Amino acid sequence: MAAVVSIEGLSKRYGRRLAVDGVSLEVNDREVVGLLGPNGSGKTTILRILTGYLRPSAGAVRVDGLDIVTEGHLARGRIGYVPENAPLYAHMRVNEFLAFMGRLRGLEPPVLHRRLESVRERLSLGPVGEVVIGKLSRGYRQRVSIAQAMLHQPKLLVLDEPTNGLDPRQVIELRGLLRILAQDYAVLVTSHILAEMERIADRVAILLNGRLLAVHRISRPGHAVSFRIRAPADAAPGIAAALSTAAATASTIREPADGNGMLSWRVTMTEPDGAERLVAALCAAGVASIEPIGAASDLEALFLRLTAEEAVH
Amino acid sequence: MKTFLALTAKEAHALFVSPVAYAVIAVFLVLNGYTFAVTLFLTRQATLSHIFFQAAMQLVLLVPLVTMRQFAEERRTGTLELLLTAPVHEGGIVIAKFVASMAVLLTMIALTLVYALILATVSNPDWGPVYGGYLGLALLAGALVAIGLAISALTTSQVVAAVVSLGIFGLLWAIDAWAALLPSPVDNWVLGLSLLARFTPFAVGSMYASDFGFFLILILLGLFLAVRALARR
Repeated sequence: MAAVVSIEGLSKRYGRRLAVDGVSLEVNDREVVGLLGPNGSGKTTILRILTGYLRPSAGAVRVDGLDIVTEGHLARGRIGYVPENAPLYAHMRVNEFLAFMGRLRGLEPPVLHRRLESVRERLSLGPVGEVVIGKLSRGYRQRVSIAQAMLHQPKLLVLDEPTNGLDPRQVIELRGLLRILAQDYAVLVTSHILAEMERIADRVAILLNGRLLAVHRISRPGHAVSFRIRAPADAAPGIAAALSTAAATASTIREPADGNGMLSWRVTMTEPDGAERLVAALCAAGVASIEPIGAASDLEALFLRLTAEEAVH
Repeated sequence: MKTFLALTAKEAHALFVSPVAYAVIAVFLVLNGYTFAVTLFLTRQATLSHIFFQAAMQLVLLVPLVTMRQFAEERRTGTLELLLTAPVHEGGIVIAKFVASMAVLLTMIALTLVYALILATVSNPDWGPVYGGYLGLALLAGALVAIGLAISALTTSQVVAAVVSLGIFGLLWAIDAWAALLPSPVDNWVLGLSLLARFTPFAVGSMYASDFGFFLILILLGLFLAVRALARR
């Protein structure tokens, strides 16, 4: 896959404070990459440099092969940006605002008209086209903000904390929307909510204090399934036998015993079709409980480990 | 060019849907209308010089209300991020805001042309000072708007932008009084910075290229500083 975004050794200094420290990252076409980190970890600064709002102190950022500093005008034309909190002109009507943003990006009237129709339909904005933006709900404001970012059919969509302030239903809708958008665009999205990242992103870059700690690929259902198995100590040989026969390709991690004498294993199967066979074998071996674990736990464990190491250092 | 027109139309729309523009225009016209009527009946002189001086003083007070929100509000609400991450040059954004602000102020000033028409119907005024006065008001408005935009581009607070603009405009307006206390030739240098001293020849019908150039330089300097303030990020 071609890299739409290439970030190399990016640093940003505010006075004496280093907000971003030597970050290197790539985002490929039709891929959702998440920037995950606590508040103040440098996520928004990276996005602002990438979109041309801030200048880097060091390093290089290329979007679709164009340098964001020396070819900024052209590079910015390849990006659709949804800033944090969806800032919009509250006095404008939705259609008026979208038309303005389209003209700002140089779209000619016939093309602009077609694109407006397309994004209004795709984001279900038809019913609010003539509503003044200041009167829209948070969810609709977010959609309008995404619509303006898609108008010029950019190569890259950049979204800063897109789920902030949304209610649960709006979060679920936005999540679905982002997965659909990823079929056409490279998407770079930030969040400080770990659970959101694992649902939205294909890869997650973990940031802390401006440094990139790791890039983690998210396993999706259909690629891998994880279980936590708990059983009494006397059932351990039977469980081990069941695991070795029914789940030969699985990775198994023995976890520390709890205070009640129960043993537990964490099993990740890369061939989910064998899960039913494994569960039957485990039940026959006297397992006490089988608890499915989402791939999220991998990210969670990695995030906790990396941030804990950083805290020690 | 199309991008610039889109920006200018958006800025003009934002100003004309705002009650601030109408309040500024209304106050300006009521005060000047009152002064025009009273002076005409009392002195029976076909001149607008006193209107030009009063209008110039009002510009010093009212222009900060027009320019204060231009960048400060966009920065506070985050919409400046939308503009600066679009494929648009900072200069285009600044000039669009300048043109839109000037459209409001020139409309306001143009509405006072009715006084000139009244004078023309009841008398035979000397048109030189009238033309010069309007040119002076337009140049003064341009200089104040450009400086006001530069100040607005430096802050997120409309109130701070307005207060600082008012302070700088007031200082530049009345700096000639300070010049009287200074030794030669410094007094002349300071006097050269006075908006009042530079505006007076226009209002009395004796225009100088140096005064014209002074206002032009202030306009260009203000716009340049506004662009630099946006580019500094």
